[in-house]
Amino acid sequence: MIYLDNNATTRVAPEVLDAMQPYLGQLFGNPSSAHALGREMKRAVEQSREQVANLIRAADVNEIVFTSCGSESDNWAIRGVLATRPEKKHIVTTLVEHEAVRNLCRLLENEGYEVTWLGVDQNGELDLSDLRAALRPDTALVSTMLANNETGVLFPIEDIGNIVREHSEALFHVDGVQAVGKIPIDLKNTAVDLFALSGHKLHAPQGIGALYMRNGVSLPSWIIGGGQEQGRRAGTSAVPNIVGLGAACRLALKDDGHARIEQLRNRLEDEILRTIPNARLNGVADRSKRLPNTSNISFAYVDGQNILMHLDQAGIGVSTGSACHSTTQESSPTLKAMNVPYPVAQGSIRFSVGRYNTEEEIETTLSVLPGIIEKLAEMSPYQEELKA
Amino acid sequence: MENTITADHFLNPRNVGNAEEPSFHGRAASLVCGALVRFSIQVDEAHAVSQARFRAAGCDVMVAASSLLCEQVEGKNTAAAAAIGQDAVTLSERMETEKVRCVELACNALLDAIREYSDAAREDWAGDEALICTCFFVSERTIEREIQTGGLTTVAEVTRVCNAGGGCGSCHQLIQEILEANDLPR
Repeated sequence: MIYLDNNATTRVAPEVLDAMQPYLGQLFGNPSSAHALGREMKRAVEQSREQVANLIRAADVNEIVFTSCGSESDNWAIRGVLATRPEKKHIVTTLVEHEAVRNLCRLLENEGYEVTWLGVDQNGELDLSDLRAALRPDTALVSTMLANNETGVLFPIEDIGNIVREHSEALFHVDGVQAVGKIPIDLKNTAVDLFALSGHKLHAPQGIGALYMRNGVSLPSWIIGGGQEQGRRAGTSAVPNIVGLGAACRLALKDDGHARIEQLRNRLEDEILRTIPNARLNGVADRSKRLPNTSNISFAYVDGQNILMHLDQAGIGVSTGSACHSTTQESSPTLKAMNVPYPVAQGSIRFSVGRYNTEEEIETTLSVLPGIIEKLAEMSPYQEELKA
Repeated sequence: MENTITADHFLNPRNVGNAEEPSFHGRAASLVCGALVRFSIQVDEAHAVSQARFRAAGCDVMVAASSLLCEQVEGKNTAAAAAIGQDAVTLSERMETEKVRCVELACNALLDAIREYSDAAREDWAGDEALICTCFFVSERTIEREIQTGGLTTVAEVTRVCNAGGGCGSCHQLIQEILEANDLPR
């Protein structure tokens, strides 16, 4: 399979697997145990915490807490902030957040919170004056993503953080899940209070995430039980997964493959837009404002799910924003917020490149795709529009 | 896509395009998922579908169902074609899919095309008695007679007795009007 769906999940890196292996075999023990095996586990966990802190440039290793996934981190951050300031009933977020944030905020609307949903322009970018206007004395929390999972469009979290800090008492939570491991992050020098990340997006296994909590930000314990994670989240630490996340962070920090990934993405994007007549880019054209690995391209008037399945048949794995693609029958909320016309949004395909893709794979994709689009365009009931 | 018929008709759809003129068209769209499908059919003098073609932008199941429907209805008279179009469940079972709604969408576009044909055929009818059901060739007089002798009060009853309205359904409104005109006080 030519895997161009690295924003969905990534293959566990061999380096990560090597680091984890001992902890799935001869090295075992409970990090809370006082004996030698327990101490070894504890040491491994703390080493990983440091590796995570290094990757996102946290000021202090203890600002990192391990969770089970990105969604858990988001839920904890948002619910936690609200619990600490019960008198404030206002939340600011965006229409293009991942479900973990979007659906939680929808739920909170039913629980008596007022949510201001910031929109985006046709490039997928925020208007920061909207943010400023939305802030109020009773705003408890501002929650935005760093990188959009569908389009790769980046939000300027430095600017957002400064505005939030300058004009409100709100805390600022960032869903960084899609960005970590793909672009440099420097939380020490950013006005971010909470930051969620997930291991499987950067070649660690599924089932491990982390939440960054700036020193001074204190949230109620998320799981009540033993004193793990300094009493903030009880439950026996998932040592193999934690070790895997640490190894993945170390790999992301030293990996020199980032430029290569970007080149592959650029080649794919440029060629598709050049050779396929009904192709158009979703998201800002300026690549410095997007993740270096992501291209979201619409093939107007043909169905994304059909494209996906024909590519699948050809051994190429991608994602689509088409409504019928999965369990939900909702078409992409991000593309909707960007005002992408319906028949165009329906034909959207997300290509997300990763460290194990090769030039050859990109060329194969480029040779297969035009034929598929042509065939589907011939089948499209919007023929007249396609001829125009 | 486990089912080989579904996979085959999705990956290699038959009968894509437009039927030759003169042809009749039908469309169906889903407000839920945004799928759009269009059928065009050509009907010969024996009221048989001589050509069925489709164009679709929608999911795999809808594309495969459209392709299968075209194959199934070609050569059938409009009554038989409409019966196929009205039975999305049987087609779904053959395709081994639970997405009956997607199959239904294709069926609805086919039925829409048959109705367009029926309306035109009714309009063009040059016989002595007004033709109501073009699928089963039932005249207004026959329907009136059945209503009066049988004391019928619903379209379903009329269909049961004389088949009228049992095909594409384009005459249901007309049958309803005949029922109302014959609704004598008892």
